[in-house]
Amino acid sequence: MTSIAENALRDTAFDGPVAFPARKKRIKPQQIAILVFLAICALFFCVPLYVIIVTSLKSMDQIRQGDVFALPWNWDFGAWWQAWDKACSGTRCAGVKVGFLNSLEILAPSLVLSIGLSCVTGYALALWKVKWASSFLFVLFMCAFVPFQIIMVPLILITGFLHVYGTVWGIAVVHAALAMPILTLIFRNYYKGIPTEIMSAAMLDSGSFWRVFVEIILPMSGNIMIVVLILQITSIWNDFLVGLTYGGIGTQPMTVILANVVITATGEASYNVDMAAALLTAVPPLVIYFLLGRFFVQGITAGAIKG
Amino acid sequence: MAVRWSRWSPQLALTPALVVTLVAFAGSIAWTIWMSFTRSRRFPDYAIDAVRPFRQYERLWHDDIFTNSLWHMLVLGIGSLLAIVFGFILAAMIDREKRGEGIFRTVFLYPLAVSLIVSGLVWRWMFNPTLGVQHFFADIGLPWIHFDWLNYPQTAMYGIILATVWQGSGFYMALMLSGLKSINSEIWSAARLDGVRFWRLYIEIIIPMMKFTFLTCAILLSLGVVKAYDIVFAMTNGGPGQSTWVPAYYTIDAYWQKANLGLASAAAVVMLAITLIIFLPLVLITAWQQRRVEARIQ
Repeated sequence: MTSIAENALRDTAFDGPVAFPARKKRIKPQQIAILVFLAICALFFCVPLYVIIVTSLKSMDQIRQGDVFALPWNWDFGAWWQAWDKACSGTRCAGVKVGFLNSLEILAPSLVLSIGLSCVTGYALALWKVKWASSFLFVLFMCAFVPFQIIMVPLILITGFLHVYGTVWGIAVVHAALAMPILTLIFRNYYKGIPTEIMSAAMLDSGSFWRVFVEIILPMSGNIMIVVLILQITSIWNDFLVGLTYGGIGTQPMTVILANVVITATGEASYNVDMAAALLTAVPPLVIYFLLGRFFVQGITAGAIKG
Repeated sequence: MAVRWSRWSPQLALTPALVVTLVAFAGSIAWTIWMSFTRSRRFPDYAIDAVRPFRQYERLWHDDIFTNSLWHMLVLGIGSLLAIVFGFILAAMIDREKRGEGIFRTVFLYPLAVSLIVSGLVWRWMFNPTLGVQHFFADIGLPWIHFDWLNYPQTAMYGIILATVWQGSGFYMALMLSGLKSINSEIWSAARLDGVRFWRLYIEIIIPMMKFTFLTCAILLSLGVVKAYDIVFAMTNGGPGQSTWVPAYYTIDAYWQKANLGLASAAAVVMLAITLIIFLPLVLITAWQQRRVEARIQ
């Protein structure tokens, strides 16, 4: 009984911040205009999402009628199943699930390599005295903007030399290398904000580079880890060129399979299957975005520029 | 001993990153520049072309497809500036009318979470000349509205620009919003007291105050435009004809389709040069801003 009462109390107590004092002024026409404008823009932004969903649920008969915005006559998930299990990419007709599994396989080593590498580098640059740290940071800042095309072919040779070309590890190595500059800068900026008292206490306590990292710094970096993790998951999942260039036949990520299914398909195009395949590819990052949007925004703005 | 060991371990921990920088970035760039002076075809040929070392660059210069692709990139860049304008308008409106900020931000930013391949394919489907949005306009009695831009060389690039603006506006909105929030709130109340009209407030005070944010956005956008490949591939695959080829597309094509490493390397070097030209002002501005901040502290 008491627990119910407590819950009720808690509900009232934690129900948001103190309510704003009710405004007596009515909404001004200008404010209505702004809200209407924003709502129209929001609708425009939603149009492609709406189109992709309704198209994937329509039958080809209805699509041939030509009304792209109409709701499906009967909600049919057949195209989804077709795209997931049967759609043809090249000569192999096993659907985009192949790409889904490949992308998952690529994701794990890529995340471990890229985050491990840049986390340690950022920590060393931020909290330890390294003579050439500032010039190295500047070089990293430059590297973050290098177009992929100029290092594409040498990286093929390097991954070939390491005997990982065409495997998930090849893709992971390239992802780790490409993401290293920007992630290092993000980690370094975050660790730079750690109070010096904590660092000097830690130095007195053990003074070992790795022990301080594992026992003190890592437990403190939960927030930035989530931000970077989401940034990396979405960018690796959405990547196309790296997967296309360094992936073998059996290790193509989902975006590449999707492009094969849609663009290089022969015969009459079945747009509902195409859109279902595209939607399935978009779902994982979208789910992450809608669940953890705050961290996603932090990641992309930090990843954009914070030299 | 422990102390010395720990002094060395930061350097040791930095080794992988240093190797990546030296090999995957510096070394690879140098390798590609070297290749651009050779006559390599499918496989690297390390002998520099002694007779005409700039052969590949001359070829690029005389290749209409490449010069056109530079032109297309410029069009794409100028068109995509709309994303910054649009992003600023959205940010200013959201900032003015706080109601629904969370919802609007979520909606405007979601395209960024989606792969460019996916959004390219969706837009391609909407641009479908017989079954897409064009058909919808004809149905509601507006047959003069054309929405089959991707089918014609003259308009295909505008289709890509539309998709790019849709994808990118939210990002610039997020950057602008954080810029707007850092503006001193006294300015707003002072302006209200003076009865300054709100659009004049924006044009004469707010935008000049945010010029660095605008510049940052413009530089980020240009760097993104130089790299643009996925969206072109998904929407038009370069077509119709070569009307939507951009340097990034040309480079990939020169290597994989033409099997001409020398030419691809030269095109990649041109891309790098463009990036540097865009990038240089950014470095100067950051340096200048830093000096200004330091001057203020003293």
